[in-house]
Amino acid sequence: MLKSTYKPSAAALQPLLPGWTEHKAPTGHTYYYNAATKESTYKRPAAPFAPTAIAPQVNLSDPNIANAFLAQNAPQPSHQSSHRGGFGGERGGRGGFQPRPRPQPTDKPRSKVAIPGHEPWILVYTKLNRRFAYNPVKKASYWRIPEKLMPAILELDQARIRQKAIDETAPTVTTTGETTVPNRPGAAAPATTTEPHDYDSSEYEEVEVTDSEDDDPSRPKRQRTSDDPPSGPVEFTEADIAAQLAAMNADYNSYPSDSDQDEDDGPPPLSESDATALFHDLLTDLRINPYTPFATLLEQPTTADKLTSDLRYLVLATTRARKEAWETWSRARMQALKDERARQEKTDPRIGYLEFLQENATPKLYWPEFRRKYKKIDCMKDGGAAFGDKEREKLYREYIARVKTSVGERKGELKGLLAGQGARALNSATVVPEGVPAAVRADVRWVVLDRKTRDEFVEGYVRGLGPPPEDEGQGTREEEEAAEKAREERRKRERALEDRERAVAEEKRRQEKRLGFERARLREEERELEKAMVVDKKGLRGQLAGERMEE
Amino acid sequence: MPAVRPASKRKAPPEGFSDLEEDLLIFSNKMKDAQNAPNDNLPRHQAQWPIFQISHQRSRYIYELFYDKEAISRPLYEWLLKNGYADPMLIAKWKKQGYEKLCCLRCIQTKETNFNSTCICRVPKTVLKEDQDIQCVSCGCRGCFSSS
Ligand SMILES: [Zn+2]
Ligand SMILES: [Zn+2]
Repeated sequence: MLKSTYKPSAAALQPLLPGWTEHKAPTGHTYYYNAATKESTYKRPAAPFAPTAIAPQVNLSDPNIANAFLAQNAPQPSHQSSHRGGFGGERGGRGGFQPRPRPQPTDKPRSKVAIPGHEPWILVYTKLNRRFAYNPVKKASYWRIPEKLMPAILELDQARIRQKAIDETAPTVTTTGETTVPNRPGAAAPATTTEPHDYDSSEYEEVEVTDSEDDDPSRPKRQRTSDDPPSGPVEFTEADIAAQLAAMNADYNSYPSDSDQDEDDGPPPLSESDATALFHDLLTDLRINPYTPFATLLEQPTTADKLTSDLRYLVLATTRARKEAWETWSRARMQALKDERARQEKTDPRIGYLEFLQENATPKLYWPEFRRKYKKIDCMKDGGAAFGDKEREKLYREYIARVKTSVGERKGELKGLLAGQGARALNSATVVPEGVPAAVRADVRWVVLDRKTRDEFVEGYVRGLGPPPEDEGQGTREEEEAAEKAREERRKRERALEDRERAVAEEKRRQEKRLGFERARLREEERELEKAMVVDKKGLRGQLAGERMEE
Repeated sequence: MPAVRPASKRKAPPEGFSDLEEDLLIFSNKMKDAQNAPNDNLPRHQAQWPIFQISHQRSRYIYELFYDKEAISRPLYEWLLKNGYADPMLIAKWKKQGYEKLCCLRCIQTKETNFNSTCICRVPKTVLKEDQDIQCVSCGCRGCFSSS
């Protein structure tokens, strides 16, 4: 329901009340903050244009009134005989809502016309072909025409239609629009008199939009409006109407929208946490090394290309934001790796011991010498009943024996060890070396190659394996649930990203189309201008010729 | 007779080195490029700047991994210092208040400068005139005093 706040509200036309400032939330919402009272709100705390300008939402939550809006938002027909699709008669609540365009925030009065016999009432037409009745004395606006004004407005409409007919038969007259529509009750226009006087049409229904006190249903609204005493002439400007219209739109915009079909909402923004999570997904998917400095990532052409060509790179708008997201991700990832290593070493004391051998064992030392030399090192001390000195000596001898063989032989032995692992333990998704299962790391064959050679060899080996098996029946139920939840959340934010991209593309298409129209119109105008110039020249020539003749 | 072991094997780096290996290589390559870069049209004192900067970056990288992010083990950290991947003297300064971002050791040596004082980049921003744009001669630093 906050959707309506994403776009600049029409209320932006109104100045903020003193003490309030406008802010942009990271999510894109505009909100308002009062430093003195520490209040914040999404609803623009604007200065009321007129005593009646601040209408409570309650008016609009009334389905009848809401329907009145809908009726007015439907494209205004050129005359009242058009079918209204039953908007006015719809009393059953909001179920019958049609997808409709939201009133444009840019709507503004286009023209106004006095309602004959009902001064000071005027009928205001807006740029979006809406119209409302306005009483400048009361400063009250009505989207739906008060009943007492209906006959007069009907007259106006008929006059307009007649005028239009006249205009069409005389194309040299430029279309004047409603501003100049005079009340011509005398003009004859037989074609239009057959139209039914659709008094039930919503267009003529009275709904008070901007007056808050009139909520009481027991009080007949019509009575009230008809009681208005017409007073003397009032200053009334376009700006007045504009502000009034803004107030009306503001009310409308604060009405919670339950429709997702609004066309002019712009791209649905991603939440900050979704954007960050998407960026994290990208880093994980690209198997970015969490130890690599952020600057290096962007300096290395291949990595930079991979990163920047992904949509998810742009969900965060600034390099600073990206760096912050990377920092969080990298820290978490390094911690996870550290934990995993610690866990593996705890699982099997042989892992730590073998790594120690890899660093320090040498064929120059026999086992007793080696043991004496490193007796103070943790992994040389008692490892419990399962891993004592006997086991250490055995591994030492195995290690020394293997180190003396050729690298090719050692690789062959390691390959044999890897081949004995199941697809669940080792697969194409295995991260080398930290993702290698403990069973492998606790084997002497794992440490007999130097780390770099080994990791490259193993990396090549796992790349040739298939993907991890689909069913993950080995984890606990909680782990599975957490994993499923994480997957679902990821799907959700990816959908949000897709939606946004679609909306962006759609908006771009629309803009291009609009641009196309504009260009076409411009060309048209240029052509007409050219034509006019030609005529003018001819005219001039003709005139000159005439002058010459006179001479 | 003991088998001859390759030099790389004799001083195998501790566990975790492979995580950093590639990035350290990138730093080394950058350093080589900086050393070999033509510096004919540069003022003499500026020629050394890139080298100071890369050295600073690499020390910073290792310092942060160990102290700030606690992502590498002490044995690995010490091995890196011993093998010249980071400058222990500079890192020692970073632990002192006001020196957390120190650019290089030269900038705090008073003897080498003309005025017997530390480098201009060590002057706190609050002391400098407003909008005064500074850059030190020794390493190109634009200010490395930290107040907190
Ligand atoms: Zn400095
Ligand atoms: Zn310096």
